[in-house]
Amino acid sequence: MNISTRWLREWVNPDVSDLELSEKLTMAGLEVDQIAPVAPPFEGLVVGHIVACGKHPNADKLSLCEVDVGTGENLQIICGAPNVRQDLKVAVATVGSVLPNGLKIKRAKLRGVESNGMLCSESEICISEAHDGIIELDSKAKIGDDVRSVLDLDDQIIELDITPNRGDCFSVLGVAREVCVNYNLSLPALEFKANQKGKRAFKSTVSNPKECPRYLTRVIEGVDNNASTPDWMAQKLQRADQQLHSPIVDITNYVLLELGQPMHAFDLSKINGNINVRSAKKNEELELLNGQSVTLSEDTLVIADEKSAIAIAGVIGGMGSSTLESSTEILLEAAFFEPVAISGVARSYGLHTEASLRFERGVDFKMAGHAMERATELVLEICGGEASEINETVHAKSLPKLEPIQISIEKISKVLGFDLDPAWVESKFKFLDFDFKKNKDNSWTITPPSFRFDIRIPADIVEELARLYGYDKIPVQRLSVDANISHAAQTKINSNDLSSALVHRGYQEVITYSFISNEMHDLVDPDAKKILLQNPISDDMAVMRSSLWPGLIDSAKSNFRRGHHNLRFFELGLCFSGIEVEGQTQKIAGIISGNRHNSQWADSDREVDFFDAKSDVESLLNLSKREFKFEAAEHPALQMGQTAKIMKGDNHIGWLGAISPKLQKKLSMPKAFLFELTQSEIAQGEKPIYESFSSFQASQRDIAIVVSKEISSDELIQSIQSLKQNDLIDVNLFDVYEGEHIEQGSISVALNLTYQSKEVTLTDEQLAKKVSKIVGHLETKFSAKLR
Amino acid sequence: MDLKALDDSRVQYLGKKGELTDLLKGLGKLSKEERPKMGEAINEAKVQIQKLIESRKEELEEELLNQRLLDEKIDVTLPSRNSEKGSLHPITQTLNHIQDIFTKAGFEIELGPEIEDDFHNFSALNIPEHHPARAMHDTFYFDSNTVLRTHTSPVQIRTLERQKPPVRVIVPGKVYRCDSDVTHTPMFHQVEGLIVDKEASFSQLKGLLIDFLRAYFEKEDLKVRFRPSYFPFTEPSAEADIECVICGGEGCRVCKKSGWLEVLGCGVVHPNVLKAVNIDSEEYSGLAFGMGVERLAMLRYSVNDLRLFFENDVRFLNQF
Repeated sequence: MNISTRWLREWVNPDVSDLELSEKLTMAGLEVDQIAPVAPPFEGLVVGHIVACGKHPNADKLSLCEVDVGTGENLQIICGAPNVRQDLKVAVATVGSVLPNGLKIKRAKLRGVESNGMLCSESEICISEAHDGIIELDSKAKIGDDVRSVLDLDDQIIELDITPNRGDCFSVLGVAREVCVNYNLSLPALEFKANQKGKRAFKSTVSNPKECPRYLTRVIEGVDNNASTPDWMAQKLQRADQQLHSPIVDITNYVLLELGQPMHAFDLSKINGNINVRSAKKNEELELLNGQSVTLSEDTLVIADEKSAIAIAGVIGGMGSSTLESSTEILLEAAFFEPVAISGVARSYGLHTEASLRFERGVDFKMAGHAMERATELVLEICGGEASEINETVHAKSLPKLEPIQISIEKISKVLGFDLDPAWVESKFKFLDFDFKKNKDNSWTITPPSFRFDIRIPADIVEELARLYGYDKIPVQRLSVDANISHAAQTKINSNDLSSALVHRGYQEVITYSFISNEMHDLVDPDAKKILLQNPISDDMAVMRSSLWPGLIDSAKSNFRRGHHNLRFFELGLCFSGIEVEGQTQKIAGIISGNRHNSQWADSDREVDFFDAKSDVESLLNLSKREFKFEAAEHPALQMGQTAKIMKGDNHIGWLGAISPKLQKKLSMPKAFLFELTQSEIAQGEKPIYESFSSFQASQRDIAIVVSKEISSDELIQSIQSLKQNDLIDVNLFDVYEGEHIEQGSISVALNLTYQSKEVTLTDEQLAKKVSKIVGHLETKFSAKLR
Repeated sequence: MDLKALDDSRVQYLGKKGELTDLLKGLGKLSKEERPKMGEAINEAKVQIQKLIESRKEELEEELLNQRLLDEKIDVTLPSRNSEKGSLHPITQTLNHIQDIFTKAGFEIELGPEIEDDFHNFSALNIPEHHPARAMHDTFYFDSNTVLRTHTSPVQIRTLERQKPPVRVIVPGKVYRCDSDVTHTPMFHQVEGLIVDKEASFSQLKGLLIDFLRAYFEKEDLKVRFRPSYFPFTEPSAEADIECVICGGEGCRVCKKSGWLEVLGCGVVHPNVLKAVNIDSEEYSGLAFGMGVERLAMLRYSVNDLRLFFENDVRFLNQF
């Protein structure tokens, strides 16, 4: 909310600068986003009177004026504004003055005629965007006076960021109250009372008293809505960012800004019969003041005459019953609507109004009467007319209850961590308009005022005291030492362990959005359940990812486009197979593409391949010191024949493979390798248990066999290990060869066997026996041939 | 002369059949008087020759070594092998930094689901259905009861459902708001903190967060101020500002000329929140705080565009 300090100071005027005042408000919880003068600094602008205005002899569009600026000698000034005319009071920038845009006014010749100054528009002195004419000052403005003071340009606008609990501060009155509490000042009681001469009875009834516990209307007849809104009011409205309309509407807006009570004025002649506050009927339609036509939903509270709805309660009026300049009889409305009844209504029609903003947060339920009197006063003063008596419908039971709150000084000290002086506390209660009494046990019983609907429980009172004491003055203490030792297991592998393993292998971590496009989901993980957002920001962010691959692929693609080809990315994050907690799984995934190294003097280039990715995956798996297996498998995003399932026992915990050529083509990207693991499956390591090692010499034996290509290396090694041969401590595959000298469909595999006994040094004879047993086994099981 | 030639000379004079050896062998033919004299002279010559050969040998070896060093000279400024450097995302680095500070103060790390139910994300945090704060949260929905969490605060509830006080946790994680422009991304990161204990006061909260901010920004005299604010789940509530780390409090574009930067929100846990998890607010007090990680990262690394964090451009990632 924007508030002018001039207006505020009409209500309460502490002896501090505007800047100090705004700092105080910020520190009291009404955050000042900005404080700025209504006009930037400039000097030398005075009120001038155009005593003569004629045509420029050499230019059609220019006028030649003679301007009295009170110096005794009239100035000849040339002006191009369309509204320049004789007898106008204008803002004159005299020779030597400097405008906010840096323009220095000099004596000049325009089309051969001398000009001694400039008549200014609002945009030229930066008080508005208006530049289609010069400023027309009040005819009563004194010639030669400083324009700054005439236009009250030293006023400052405070931009307040009001928190949702402080709906009471959406008005000059509300902010003035805050100023009072902070400077120990008092506001006079509200005593508005309008002259009441009219006799026009008007009945308004309320069908939904719970939503509308208080409803006031008043007829004013014989008004002149052609009158003009007085300058003082127009200026205040404009400085609060309110547009000017007709005086009646301006007055209701003014009262809203001044007292925080939204009001509405109907044209009485356009109302059919009496008024009733009720829920909208099915398919009821209403054309709103802003020109929008809406079909009302049945839970919307409306103001209706005997024919139809004429306004959405607490949000906006209808076009049909609105006041026009020609209106002569009006019906003023001031009501209290329950915040819950108004909440979300404006939004549901795509609206956001000054009224809904306040009603949603809560309006003082005792303010409607004051506001009605205040508005009536102003209407009579500005537009004339006769006001009839107020018609008030109150449902006392539904009005908010001011429940007493009990609190002790001990409770306050406990929450804040230091002691407040009870006398100071009571003085603040007084300035807060709290109704309080001290109990026998020294606690207080407090009833907050009607405008502080945010004060409900003791904690609310503590907060009031804390902020008035000053958060900055509250002493600083340390937390007591917590001697609990956490049971972080050494064998736990956390995200950081995994990340650093990959970072050390040259990977860069990326963070991508958890929502992806339908298209990417269908391309990369079509078999996974699609978790759709109801209100996505765009189609590109509509599906919760089931895999990290879409994000990684997109990141890689955008970098490919920028000419970066050797990429290694990984990401850690939740993937989604359901909306329940169990359906949210943390995964770690990676993508590699391009060359193994950036081109370099020391090594020749080579494109990354499946086994590069595999070794990266193993660097993660090895952290846990557990057994994992890779099995040939198929995945829709991966290339057939270059895809592996990663298994922990019987659990499928991840994938590794080359991106499928089809997908590659669809996404027009280069060859890449992807992997993904379920993090919880690799998060638990194994505690190492020491085993004594043999002091006898280990012996190596190599064998080379030819087997069918269909037999995987894993099968061979597993099969050898399944023999559980004594003293065989390692089997290592060290060469694979196919081609010349090897039968088509077969491969030659070279294995290195390491033997070591804990008791003796094995003899050549013993070793030969063991090796031939293995060869025999491979021959029978795989029809292997020794080379 | 090389080492080989030198050795040949040695053999020529000192070898088994060398000239000096021959002379020694011939001593027997000399008279008794001459023999010792001659013997002495020959030995003397032998020692001299040996010495000369030794020193020449050393010289030659030195020359050889010098030659080898010259031959083996490399350009040590050539790049090393495999110099690809990996990196952690700046957000992760920031999270790690924050976590390190708090875990040293005895905080445990808790995580929670990102798809949340209404109860944990709103109701239990004292944000009932019609609360204006809900509208401010710009929530992503799956159905009327299921949302993408709008803050990390639901993990406060999940922690307290599982664990009895005393509780001292921080919760790093992703959060989501249906908002996307220059200064908002629909996904971002927060770190939440929660303390529930018999003695936990607002002044302790102040002390903790001042210590944290000074540690995070590595500035011992960093100015921190607390302002009253509003969050439905804390009462009293505060926002903490630090002196602008860009201009040192002088006033600049980043701090909107105020000299202050808002960096976190905090407060004493609202009794309704403790009630939602059946903790007696008379016996226990709670302190909570939350901070936006992107903002802290931007300030720490002078990143001027929030969106850079999620574009994953290697030219950006390479810098961290």
